[in-house]
Amino acid sequence: MKIDILLFGPQAKLAQTNRVAIDLQTPPTVENALAALSEALPEIAQTLAASRLAVNHEYARNGDLLAEGDEVALIGMVSGG
Amino acid sequence: MAEVTTLTNRVSIQWAQGPIESLAPLSVEGAGAVLTFLGVVRPYEDDRLLKGLSYTSYNPMAEQQLYRLAKRTIDLHQLSHVRIVHSLGFVGVNEPSLRIDVASKHRKEALSAMDGILNDLKRDVPIWKSPVYADESGDCQ
Repeated sequence: MKIDILLFGPQAKLAQTNRVAIDLQTPPTVENALAALSEALPEIAQTLAASRLAVNHEYARNGDLLAEGDEVALIGMVSGG
Repeated sequence: MAEVTTLTNRVSIQWAQGPIESLAPLSVEGAGAVLTFLGVVRPYEDDRLLKGLSYTSYNPMAEQQLYRLAKRTIDLHQLSHVRIVHSLGFVGVNEPSLRIDVASKHRKEALSAMDGILNDLKRDVPIWKSPVYADESGDCQ
């Protein structure tokens, strides 16, 4: 399953993109998506341990399953306030 | 000031394009305490002199998270109202980029709540700041 992951802030800057397409193996879990992201973008791999995926604007857990059409965003290194 | 979103009669979330302009204090019936926090851009980041900070967000998730944070805090501390204003775009040094107003019947609840709001905002809300250094050339926006 192919998914797009949105990137923001310093992670987007490191990756030099605000969107990356990854090939997600079965099962399509959040954990597997993060692993695939780490492979696709090694420049942000070290930031992923302190990051979360948001799926359809909700923070997701590692075991959650992704589906076609989900909006997936990497939320890490937030610095509001 | 742009984009006012009053989500309920007890929660207001607002986005400012650039620095936050002066706002009238919260006027809440029955509130004996109104506490205001103003977050201001410091002049240095990583020991380098700043021109300012440029803020971006992942909306609508950021607004949703701010609303939930405000609502959760209201319920936990029995507050009357929470207003959160956050800047997007460029904010210069010494200018305000975050304003939080908390109204409660007594001061104790407001004082207890404010630190928690700040901690949760910094942890959970998808907003990012990017430094614009004084020794860099180019556009601040």
